[in-house]
Formats: sequence, C-alpha cells, structure tokens
Amino acid sequence: MKKFSLHTATLVLSLLLSIASFQLRADEKPLPSIDDKLVKLSIVDPVRDSGYTVGDRITRVVTLEIKKPYKLLDTSLPIVGYEKRYQGQVIGIELRDIKKTAEDKADSTVHTLHLTYQIFTRNVVAKPAALPPEFVKIQHGKEIYSFRIPSWNFRISPIAVFGEVKLETDMSPLRGPVLKNSDRENLIFKLALAVLALSALGLLYIFGAHAWLPRMGGPFARACRDLRKLKKLPANDETLKLALTRVHQAFNLSSGNSVFSNNLDDLLAQKPVFSSMRNDIAHFFELSRMAFFEQQHTTQTAAEQLLWLQQFSRRCRDCERGLRPEKQA
Amino acid sequence: MSDRQLADWRQHALKLESEINKVVVGQKDPIRLITTAIFARGHVLLEGDVGVGKTTLLRAFTRAIGGGYQRIEGTIDLMPNDLVYHTYLGEDGKPHVSPGPLLMSGENLSVFFFNEINRARPQVHSLLLRVMAERTLTAFNKEHHFPHMLVFADRNQVEKEETFDIPSAARDRFMMEIPIAVPTEPAVREALMFNPKFHDVDALVGTVEAEVLQFDQLNAFARIIQNSVDASPTLRRYALDLWTATKSPELFGVKVNGVEMSRLIISGASPRGVSMLLSAARVNAWLNNREAVVPEDIHAVFHETIAHRLVFSPVYEMRRTEIARELLSGIISSVSAP
Repeated sequence: MKKFSLHTATLVLSLLLSIASFQLRADEKPLPSIDDKLVKLSIVDPVRDSGYTVGDRITRVVTLEIKKPYKLLDTSLPIVGYEKRYQGQVIGIELRDIKKTAEDKADSTVHTLHLTYQIFTRNVVAKPAALPPEFVKIQHGKEIYSFRIPSWNFRISPIAVFGEVKLETDMSPLRGPVLKNSDRENLIFKLALAVLALSALGLLYIFGAHAWLPRMGGPFARACRDLRKLKKLPANDETLKLALTRVHQAFNLSSGNSVFSNNLDDLLAQKPVFSSMRNDIAHFFELSRMAFFEQQHTTQTAAEQLLWLQQFSRRCRDCERGLRPEKQA
Repeated sequence: MSDRQLADWRQHALKLESEINKVVVGQKDPIRLITTAIFARGHVLLEGDVGVGKTTLLRAFTRAIGGGYQRIEGTIDLMPNDLVYHTYLGEDGKPHVSPGPLLMSGENLSVFFFNEINRARPQVHSLLLRVMAERTLTAFNKEHHFPHMLVFADRNQVEKEETFDIPSAARDRFMMEIPIAVPTEPAVREALMFNPKFHDVDALVGTVEAEVLQFDQLNAFARIIQNSVDASPTLRRYALDLWTATKSPELFGVKVNGVEMSRLIISGASPRGVSMLLSAARVNAWLNNREAVVPEDIHAVFHETIAHRLVFSPVYEMRRTEIARELLSGIISSVSAP
C-alpha cells in the first residue's frame, strides 16, 4: 500500500512539472530579426579549418557595425564557460574568453568581439564540427531585435591514428619523418654559446692585464690614449702639467717605483727596451723639472711641448710593445 | 745679495770640498753632506767604525772653516761641568777655575767636536741639548752665546759596552747623521795603506788651506740661501707626502722585509726634522747651481736627515740601521712627484 502511494506521488509531481515547463515555453516569444541593412557583419575566421583536436583553442573575430540609434545589449553577449549544445546535446565546444571593444562613429557603432572557443571533444577519426551560432540582442527604444552570428564549420582530428598501426606500412614518402621541434633548445644552446664566448673574451681581457693582445694596454699605451684626449683641452701650462703627470705615472707604473732623473739608470737597467729613448727620457725629465719645480718657461710654447709629449708617449708605447720606436717628427 | 755673490760663495764651498777631498780620500758623499750641513747651519753626527777617518775629516773641516775649534772626548765619567770649566791647583798652590771647552773660544767658537758622544752620560747629553738648540749656555751667572757654533759629534756603533744610547730628543737636534764607511775603491785603499802622507794626521790636516770660509759670515749667508732658493707648490706637496710616509709608511705601500709595518714606527720625522730636511735640500740645490729645489735635492739628503730621527718599536731597534735604510729607500721609491 505504501509502495503504491509513493509511486503515485512521484507520477503526479512529474506531471505537474511537465505542465509548468510547457507553460513557460509557451510564454517565450521569439524576437524579431533585425533588418540586415541596420547591421553590417564581418567575421575573421581561423585560416585553417581542420587539424584541431581536444584542448585546442579557436578564435574568431566578429565585427558588428550597428546603425544608430540601435544598440547592442551587452547582456545578450555569449557567456564564458557556457557549454554549447546542438539539438540539446553537448557538442564539446566551450566559449573560453570574450573580448569586446566598441568604436563610436557618426551614424553607427562598431563592436568588435574576440570569441575564443576551446575544444573538449575528440574522436578516433576526423569528424565535422562547428563553432555554434551566437544570438545577440539589439535594442531600439522599447523594441528588442535578435541578430544571428553564423556558425563556422571545421573538422576535429583524432590525437593518434586509430587502431594498430604498422610503422612500416605507414611510411609515406610524401610525408617527412615526425621530428621533435627543437627550436627552443637550439635557441637556448646558441644563447649559452654566446654567453660562453663573451665570458671567455672577458677572461682573456682580464688575464691579459686589460689588453686584448699581448703587450697591449701597458702603462704607456694608456698614457698615450689619455694624452690624445687632452687635445680637447686648451694648450696651456695646466694642460701641460696634466700631460707631464700622466707620463710620470706611466714611468712609475712601468718601473714599479717612482722614477726620477737620478734613478733613470735603474729604470733603463730594469727595462732595456727604453734604452734607445735615453736622451728623450732625459729631455722629458728636464721638461718636467722646468714645469713643476723651477717654473721656468722654455722657448717652446705649451702647444709645442704637448705635441712633443704626445709623440714621446707614443714612442715609449712602441718601446713598451717591443717595437722599434718611430723617429721623432 | 746678488746672484754673483751667491756664485762666489758657491766657489768657496766647492773649494772647501776640494780641499777636504785632498786629505780625506774616498769620502766624497760624506764631504758633500757635511758641506751642506755647514751652509744649512746644522749639527752633524758621524757614525762609523773605528779608524775610518771621522776625526781627521772633522779636523780638516774645522781648519777650512776657521774660527775657534774645541774638542772633548766622551767618557763614561764625563760630567756636564767638564764641558763648562775645569779646576786645578795653580803654581801658587791656590785653586783656580779655567773655562772649559765650550767657553774657551767665546763667541768665536765655530766647531765643537764631541768625540765618541755615546760614551758620555745622559747628563752630558742633556747639557748638549740646550747648547745645540739655543747656542747658549748659562755659567758663572752669565749667559754665554755661541752664534757660529756647529757641533760635530761621532759615535761608534760597534762597541756597546760602557756606552749610552743618545736619546731621540738629542738625536733630533742633529741635522744629519752621516755614515762614514771604509772606502771600497782599491786605489784609495792602497793609498791609505801605503802612502805615508795619510799616516801623520797632524801634518795631513795642516795641508788643508786654512779659513777657506769666513765662519762669522756663514749664518747670514745661510739665511740668504734659504731665502733665494725656491720651493714650488709641487715640491712642497711632495715633501709633505714624504713626511707623512715617515709616520705612516703603510699608507704609501712601503714594505720592509720581515717587518710588520703597522707596528714599526712609534714616531716619524719631527717638524724640526723636516724643516732641516728642506734647509739641507735648498743648500744642495744651491751647491748644484739651481735656483729651485727639485726632488733629487731632497733625495740627496733624505737618508741622512731623517733616519736618525725615526723612533722604532723596541723589537726593531736592534736592526735600526738596516731597517731605516730600507724603509727610507722604500719611501723614496713609493712616493711620486708629481
């Protein structure tokens, strides 16, 4: 008895729900379509219409140019995450993202929709599929119209070949071997090689006492460079003193001690490469003495002395490199 | 004073050197340094082994300078009053007081030679401090002046028995400490050994031309030299760096073998010491016919004017001569100018 009454109640409840559902559908009136002249539609679909498989994303760009005063209702735009259906069946394609931009023109509004769908279905063989049509609503005063964005057909491909495949029989000469894409690894390898090469060059520079080649970057080479830069300064006594100081520093660095005119012989004994420059070096110390200590002026102008110093430092640089110094100009 | 007078005096100075070089051979550098000290009006301490000619050298200089010359031997029982007076019983049987070596020549005293100064007691050193610094002495209720006096002293570094270290304050009064070494040239050594001329010291010193210089004009002329010879800003900066290096050599990267540099120096060169260094450098510039001091002039007198002023940690005092030479050479090598 009890069993009978439970079944009866269930049946009655189902009947009531069905009646209510039918009543609800009967209340929904289909919206009228908008005149095609009022909406201009353009769609940019993906270039490829096959080869998609589960997980792939497909983006189509829909542009709607709607004449004013008609307006697109944002609430009618497709909802992200909604599972698309066809004839009540889930088709395995889902809207993942939507981006909308609007551009106002004089007599129309251009709406651009970026619709990104993701495929959540697969098949053992290729099967047709379609991005479903979308319906948006356009309002004019109290009137609301419907506009259909057409569907787009494509093919869903299987992930792998169906069934047992004998590789020997599946080797088409028209299809190349399946290669793993190694572009990223190649790029990393090339970058690592570049970093290694730069590091090696840096080490070479450091171990070479800040010179790219042996015997380069010595004290006189640096002094010579610095004296060239002094050309930018006015040729006066101050610049001359700067130049003399720079050459003194080069002598001190080269010798490892402070070099004076009274220990010149020690320098030449220590660095015989400068022997051919003895007279010039003596002249340099005489020039330095007059500039710094006796504060006397020679018959030469500061410009002439600076020029001589530049030539002198270049000849010293040549000696430092083990070359025969060029003759004095 | 004109340039001509400076040149005339230079000729006298060179003549003095030449006269001394005739009788004391193989000692050109010490003779140049003593000449420098005479014109810089600085006292001189000679250091060397026994019998190398220190006394002969000083006697020869004394003869050439002119003026009063007095000498005293340092002994362990020498007392300060021995320098000032001595007492004796006269022929009349009564006690008499006579002036001692310091007072005997009065204001004309030009050279006071203290032989073996390190054998004298610290009391004697103390008296000498005042005489050297102020050139005055109070005795018999009167202040005595020795305006032209230079003290020449020598010390024997080899013997340590019955000797007293000269305190740093006394050493600082000496402008220079000059080492006198045995000549190394074979010809000079042979002459010293076989030439009878060098065996009779009195006769040898007698050959030196007397009074090449006028001792009572040296003070005035020394001032002229100091005022005439210029020191440029670059040189002043260099001399200041040298002074700093004598106090903190590690700042300039100076190293001495087997010495912890941060613990070596208790006291570097004194202000008096560096002023004497520059005085001597100016005289050296003048002797070399220059109107301005150059670094080489400082180098020429650096060891001799600075070494004896440095006060080392006691642990390094035993190696004083060796360390001082290496240290000062290191300073010259490390400090640049400009």
